[in-house]
Amino acid sequence: MNFLIKNKHGSEKLLSVYWFAILFIVAAGIVYMALLFYGIPYDVREAEANLLLNKVSDCLVQNQYLNNEIFLEGFEETFLEKCGLTFEVENFGEWKDDQYYVEFFIFSFDDTQEKNKGGILTGAKAGEFHLRDLHSTKLDKSPFGIERSFYALDESNVMYVVEILSIVNKEGKNVR
Amino acid sequence: MQKKGEMLTENVVFIILNLAFFAIIILFLFLKMGSAAPIEEKYAKQIALLVDAARPGMLISLDISEAVEKAEDKDWPLEKIISIEDNVVMIQLRDDGYYVYSFFNDVDVQVSDILEGDKIELKIK
Repeated sequence: MNFLIKNKHGSEKLLSVYWFAILFIVAAGIVYMALLFYGIPYDVREAEANLLLNKVSDCLVQNQYLNNEIFLEGFEETFLEKCGLTFEVENFGEWKDDQYYVEFFIFSFDDTQEKNKGGILTGAKAGEFHLRDLHSTKLDKSPFGIERSFYALDESNVMYVVEILSIVNKEGKNVR
Repeated sequence: MQKKGEMLTENVVFIILNLAFFAIIILFLFLKMGSAAPIEEKYAKQIALLVDAARPGMLISLDISEAVEKAEDKDWPLEKIISIEDNVVMIQLRDDGYYVYSFFNDVDVQVSDILEGDKIELKIK
C-alpha cells in the first residue's frame, strides 16, 4: 500500500512535467501560427502584374487599332513615358527602382507559322531585365510574371501578333 | 497534515502557473489581432492597385472605416491617415509606424478629406 502511494505521488510529479511540456508545445504552436498569419504580407503581385499588362495593352492598341507610334524610331526610349508608366518605387531594403520589368514584341501575322507568328517587326523593353531571368527560375520567391499574346489590326486592316510580358518583383513586401 | 498542506500549495502553484501561461498566450493573441500594421498594409496596397487601374479623370470612392476606427483608437489625427506623394501611398494609423507602397501608373492623385460614412475620394488627374 505504502509502495503504491509513493508511486502515485511520483507519477503525479512526472505528470506535471509532461503537462508543462504539452503546454509549451501548444503555446509554441499558437505563437507560430499567429506570427505566420500576421507576419505574411498580402501578395498583390499577380494583380499588379495583370494591371501592368493591361496598361501596356491599352497603350499599344488605342481606339481599337494598333498604335502606329510603336513603329517609330526611338519609341523604346520613350516607351514608359508614352504609356504613362513610372517604375520608381519607395525606399525599402535594397530596392533601387528595379522592381518592374515589361517588354512587348510585334510580329507579322503568318498563319503558316507556329502561333501565327511571322517575323518580328518591332518591340521594346523597360525596367530591370534581370527580373526576366529570375522569373524564369519559377522558384517560390521568384518575381511574378504574366505573358499574354493577342491579335491586333492597324488602320489599314493589316493583322499583327502582339506579345507582352510583365513582371513584378517587390519581394519583401509581398513574399518573404 | 503537513503532507496535505504541501499538496495544496503545489496544486495552487500549478494552477496559478497554468493561468499565467494562458493569460500570456491570450494577451499575445490580442496584441497581434489589435495591431494597426495589417490594416495599414491592406489600405496602402488597395489604394495603389486602385490607382494602377485608374485612368485620368476618374473619381474613386473608397470606404476606409476600419482605418478610421483604428486611428481613433490610437488617437491619431484622421487627416494624417492617407498621404500620396509622387507615386507612393502612405498609410499611417499610429505614432510608431506606417506603411508605404508604390504604384506604376504615372498620374497625379488628389485625396479628399474623410467624408460622411468614413469614405475618401481619390481624384485621378
